Amino acid sequence: MFGYVRPQKSELLVREYEQYKGVYCSLCRQLGKSYGMVSRLTLSYDCTFYALMLLAFRPECPGFQSGRCVVNPLKKCTFCSSGEPEFVSASALSVIMTYYKIRDDIADSRFWGKLRAYALLLLAARAHRKAAADFPRLDAIISASMEEQKAAEQAPDPCLDSCAEPTAKMLQQVFEASAGEDGEPDSPKIRILRQFGYFLGRWVYIIDAADDMEKDLKTASFNPFIIQCGLNEASSPEELEKAKSYANEVLNLTLSQLTAALNILDLDHFGEIIQNVVLKGLPEIQKELLFKKEKVHVRSL
Amino acid sequence: MSDPYKVLGVSPTATDDEIKAAYRELAKKYHPDNYSGSPIADLAGEKMKEINEAYDTVVAQRKQQKNGGYAGYTAPNTGYAGQSYGNSYSSGFNDVRNLIMLGRIADAEQILNGVPSESRNAEWYFLKGTVLYKRGWLEEAYNNFARACQMDPYNGEYRAAMNQVTNQRNGVYGGYNPNVPRTGSCSGCDVCSSLICADCCCECMGGDLIPCC
Repeated sequence: MFGYVRPQKSELLVREYEQYKGVYCSLCRQLGKSYGMVSRLTLSYDCTFYALMLLAFRPECPGFQSGRCVVNPLKKCTFCSSGEPEFVSASALSVIMTYYKIRDDIADSRFWGKLRAYALLLLAARAHRKAAADFPRLDAIISASMEEQKAAEQAPDPCLDSCAEPTAKMLQQVFEASAGEDGEPDSPKIRILRQFGYFLGRWVYIIDAADDMEKDLKTASFNPFIIQCGLNEASSPEELEKAKSYANEVLNLTLSQLTAALNILDLDHFGEIIQNVVLKGLPEIQKELLFKKEKVHVRSL
Repeated sequence: MSDPYKVLGVSPTATDDEIKAAYRELAKKYHPDNYSGSPIADLAGEKMKEINEAYDTVVAQRKQQKNGGYAGYTAPNTGYAGQSYGNSYSSGFNDVRNLIMLGRIADAEQILNGVPSESRNAEWYFLKGTVLYKRGWLEEAYNNFARACQMDPYNGEYRAAMNQVTNQRNGVYGGYNPNVPRTGSCSGCDVCSSLICADCCCECMGGDLIPCC
């Protein structure tokens, strides 16, 4: 469920693209610094977006400087020269989310998959312990949402909204927590962030479910769209196409709420990049995943 | 009050037309239609008020400058503000409507859930949809609005809610619509180059499409 929240590169200014890459590389570097080399592998566009959102509310703009990429020393990279606390919490989020994702995979997969997931879990466990100790609130939010997800899927009559709720609530709380505990709980900023987080989480859950439709049909795994649209293994390609077009409508409805929240959110920096992600990047992903004839892997930026 | 130019996102040297365009752009963003039924509608309303005030201030200031310092009376431009979505419909669920208006969504839902299924009318489905929409359960909300419209097809209130959600689903307010080609898929350049291409092909065969080249 990673990598869906990203900008549309062709619509970014060169300057904005450089800034985005700078944030991406800084997050990677912070992951290595805080949680060890292996944890760099958890780097994702989603957590980069989270870091961007955190940086957007800093009083001063983080400057940029150039340096070398640790993974590929021949490549030059841009890094942020400040904003360490933001990158620390974004990297903790990255590690914690990956850890629970692996645990989720253990429960879902068969023998070989389980074995693979256990090996990964061993690698991730140490980093997770450290991240959870530093950010107990984040850890509690995410582990609770995993439990709720299980419960929602096992409920007698799961609907799309109830299945999307745990992920939506998770990001709602993550964004709420990002505003800091010192703020009053009902300030406009926190109310908007809550709304923003809820619908971003909802969008992520739904695009992930829609993307996995075929795979889940083959492996007979749980998927809300399979239930909602009454799909089975014998379903024709037309029926699948119809289900995807239905998913697109659900996603559009969700995006309308996300856009409305973003429009009244005051961002001090990176406003254009964040708008690009929500207004162009997310629709682009919908187009790529739901309307391309052959299955495509979304290329890296 | 903060700098009105900053609120509108323009520089103090911008022309009147630029300011008007910036104001319109923002007014479109904060328009109440984008937020009807949303729990953050009040915040969008405040934003709208802010830009209306900023726009009024700028217009008044510029008029004053043009009039050589004489501060004439300018009627305040109310812009899109002042649109209220108050309802004058007769209702059997006034308590629920009041709770929704006060933002007490959980209480409203509890009362609605207490209504036995045989006495659930079109308004019940509409209000249930409204409550679900506020909670972010957009699909269930859509189903409930659809049910309300089905039971009472001539009610404007239900129809408006249904239309809004339908438009949102179709990507009018952000998202992707597969039936609408992205702008720029066939630009002026494409037309010219295709014509020149066609001309070349014709010339190969001894004909001519564009006589001058």
